[in-house]
Amino acid sequence: MSNLFSLIQNENMKIYRRFGTWVMIGLLVLASVVGAVITKTTYREPADWKAEIASEISGAKEQLKEKNIQKTYKEHLQQQVKINEYRLEHNIKPLQSNTFWGYLVNSADIISLVTLFTIIVAAGSVASEFSWGTIKMLLIRPASRAKILLSKYIAALLFAVCMLGLLFLVSAVASAILFGIETIREPYLAYQNGTVVEKNMVIYVLQAYALNCADLVMMATFAFMISAVFRNQSLAIGLATFSLFIGPQITFFLAMKFDWAKYLLFANTNLTQYIDGMPMVKGMTMPFSMMMLFLYFILFNAIAWFTFQKRDIAA
Amino acid sequence: MNPLLQLKHVRKEIGRKTIIHDLSLEVFAGEVFGLLGPNGAGKTTTIRMIVGLMGITSGEVLINGISIARDFEKAIQHVGAIVENPEMYKFLTGYQNLIHYARMTTGVTEERIDEVVQLVGLEHRIHDKVKTYSLGMRQRLGLAQALLHRPSLLILDEPTNGLDPAGIREIRDYLRKLAREEGLAIIVSSHLLTEMEMMCDRFAIIQHGKLVTIESVQELSKQIEKVLFTVEPVEKALQLIQTRYPHINITHTDQGIEIPLDYKEIPNLTAALVDGQINIYGIQVLAKSLEERFLEMTGGNEIV
Repeated sequence: MSNLFSLIQNENMKIYRRFGTWVMIGLLVLASVVGAVITKTTYREPADWKAEIASEISGAKEQLKEKNIQKTYKEHLQQQVKINEYRLEHNIKPLQSNTFWGYLVNSADIISLVTLFTIIVAAGSVASEFSWGTIKMLLIRPASRAKILLSKYIAALLFAVCMLGLLFLVSAVASAILFGIETIREPYLAYQNGTVVEKNMVIYVLQAYALNCADLVMMATFAFMISAVFRNQSLAIGLATFSLFIGPQITFFLAMKFDWAKYLLFANTNLTQYIDGMPMVKGMTMPFSMMMLFLYFILFNAIAWFTFQKRDIAA
Repeated sequence: MNPLLQLKHVRKEIGRKTIIHDLSLEVFAGEVFGLLGPNGAGKTTTIRMIVGLMGITSGEVLINGISIARDFEKAIQHVGAIVENPEMYKFLTGYQNLIHYARMTTGVTEERIDEVVQLVGLEHRIHDKVKTYSLGMRQRLGLAQALLHRPSLLILDEPTNGLDPAGIREIRDYLRKLAREEGLAIIVSSHLLTEMEMMCDRFAIIQHGKLVTIESVQELSKQIEKVLFTVEPVEKALQLIQTRYPHINITHTDQGIEIPLDYKEIPNLTAALVDGQINIYGIQVLAKSLEERFLEMTGGNEIV
């Protein structure tokens, strides 16, 4: 009986021994470095940040006077006002993109590239075995189909984790070299139980990364499912990237008209909406989205598992 | 002796179409069993069901007495197979391919991998990427992966495909040796009938998803079609034979006299010819070849 660890080892070998994988890794490193260089050359710091913050505060207060303002948005504005007042009081400059932490937070945007690459890997992992014909060799070993599928799924997620780690590392190094680490002790201002507290900036960066990962995991799982069901890599990559880019737009339009849009996958993948205080549909909360994502996650995996388990392997 | 592989009333339906009808057969340790049939007869489907790639609609496949459908992992443990072409990961080396499959079973050491590589004669190219291999080399690598875990049942679909004559002979001898000396049960399917005749002990002919016959190659060699006598003088001999067997159709060709004769009658006739002072230069048994038998059973080159 083969154990799961060896199976994952096998899948890793099939991922990292391929040239294409290293092209993707190279592109990710390039994107991170180029992003830092562009920030360095184009970003201009505000001349008087205190004046800007002051105008932000008055603007927010102006908005707060309005009657029919959404409750979550109102809370968000109130928090912003508190945090901004704290900044002026304690002379803490808002996070600038051309600082060590600033760029690191922005590098979380590059995660969409990691998502794309993970989709490619996840889409290929089952479908390629079919197109290579090696599936026949793979499934006549003393390993259940469920185990083989699980090992492939885990290997795809491990790839994502490695890419995220790499992105973080390269961005941190590039950031340290280009922007210096003088501002490393700057705190992150969070709002907790009615007061503003100073926290380590690492927490903020990790939060930014984590929130962007919901998309990543869901789309990778989706691509994996398509790959297992249709045995076609191009279809899996196409559908997953298409929905990755178009899905949120369509959901956004639907959400303006229909309340049920909140049950759609893409209404829930963007978790930063709760940090900004602007959920897509009124009344949506972070726990609700987490729950929906979990349900979709189970659904995708169940479909992939079921079809793979039952399928006759022909031709 | 318990059969290593048992098919009991196996049936396969895809949609409404029945691909395999009530197929039953047994393969024993130490024999090479051939699976013959025209294109589309259901050979590959049968093999796919045996190794669990396809579900079985009804009936049972038992390997070492273990049901492939109910206890897949346990049943497949002792099976090595090539299903259709030996497809490998082309971007990996031959050795990495073998490592890959070795990891999926237990007890395959590095020494075993080296041993198998030597056995199939790939030691000089095993660390090259598979995409640089010829068809024959891929076939050898396919055989290597099937033998890696010392299976007791070996299933090979077209094992000599792409090999040169020397390679074919080598593989054939090796398979026979595996069956004789190590007691493996080997199932081969091939379209090369002379090839099968030389390799197999028994063979099954499948047509339209039904089992037509199971025969042993030995029996086949006893199914004499004709006996060819090269004699002098021909006229006298013809007369003699005709009076001895008045109801038999005798033909006279350039090679000599062809008589459809029973195996046991050969010495009697020979003696009679000698008594009749006829010079005998040669007696040749024209046995039915597997090819003739195959065409006879399947009714020619019919595909559907």
